Amino acid sequence: MEQLEKLKDVWKNQGESAIRFSKEDIRDMLQKKSSSIVKWILIISILEFVLPNLIYLVTDHESSRRIYENYGLTNITMIYTAINVVIICVFIYFFYKNYKSISADSSVKILLHNILKTRKTVKYYIYYNLTMAAIIGVHIFYIVFNSESFLENIPKELSLVTVWLVALLLLSIAIFIFWIFYRVLYGILLKKLNKNYEELLRNE
Amino acid sequence: MTKELERKFSQELEGNQSIIHKICRSYTNSEAAHKDLFQEITIQLWRAYPKFRGDSKFSTWMYRVAFNTAISLYRKSKRTVQTSPIYDNLKELEFHDYDETHDKQLELLYKAIQSLNDIEKALALLYLEDKSYKEIALTLGISEVNARVKMNRTKTKLKNILNP
Repeated sequence: MEQLEKLKDVWKNQGESAIRFSKEDIRDMLQKKSSSIVKWILIISILEFVLPNLIYLVTDHESSRRIYENYGLTNITMIYTAINVVIICVFIYFFYKNYKSISADSSVKILLHNILKTRKTVKYYIYYNLTMAAIIGVHIFYIVFNSESFLENIPKELSLVTVWLVALLLLSIAIFIFWIFYRVLYGILLKKLNKNYEELLRNE
Repeated sequence: MTKELERKFSQELEGNQSIIHKICRSYTNSEAAHKDLFQEITIQLWRAYPKFRGDSKFSTWMYRVAFNTAISLYRKSKRTVQTSPIYDNLKELEFHDYDETHDKQLELLYKAIQSLNDIEKALALLYLEDKSYKEIALTLGISEVNARVKMNRTKTKLKNILNP
């Protein structure tokens, strides 16, 4: 290790860096936009909060209202919407709180912890959405498949068991695709942070 | 008021910039990436500046923000051009052989640091800057015991790279 001690001399005697910036250069830099990962996490997270709700805006409300009434789904969709609004607000509150705790002058470990925690809020939000999609999906299937207007129109040769199986299969595939897409996005965004955080925590 | 703060900040940073250049050179391997990281560190320092109360030295505070940017916040920009492998001539550095020029030794030392992982780079820099274990532990946010364990590993790794 003595050899490494000698390297300290080499290090200490290094002259000024070949690249240097003047006060004016530095002031120019202050006007530039940050490309920090936190900025990307914020943008992507906001999109993730907003996008699922945009689907609601582009749906044809009149025809969906008719379908709801037809199958007796009006009350149940209202209840689920109300629950969803409350839960989204809770998630956004926690996301905002965690986001505000991210500070570049904390220790490396705390900073990494806070960024990952902020992102975790969004992860749980996505998982909540996928779980709700499954619950609401099954609930709606149940109501629809038991409604008179459905049972009257179902072809004789088609058993209700087959209808259930196909419906559940399609629902599972849709949720699975969303889950995979999300895991990939999550992985790309946080790969470096997770790796460094684990490295830092090793032996703690 | 902001103009005044900008002036004060850029003056302090200009005088203390060598430490940031050392960090940039350790965490990047091209001039473009070096400048890019420097800019991101400057932006992060400027954002955190209103919170800097002068409880610690400007340089100590700067260290923290700069490491945080290099380790966690910085995302390589597309502008960054990858340079050739950094391992060339690595074996040339012999500790007892001081015939080599100082610049050459420094270059090889930087190349060795560049081949470490993000956390080890910070440890190597803090070691070369002669920081105490207490300060290293505080900067990284880990226990002093863990800082010692990690430092020993980093030193061994660095030694093996430089003198295989």
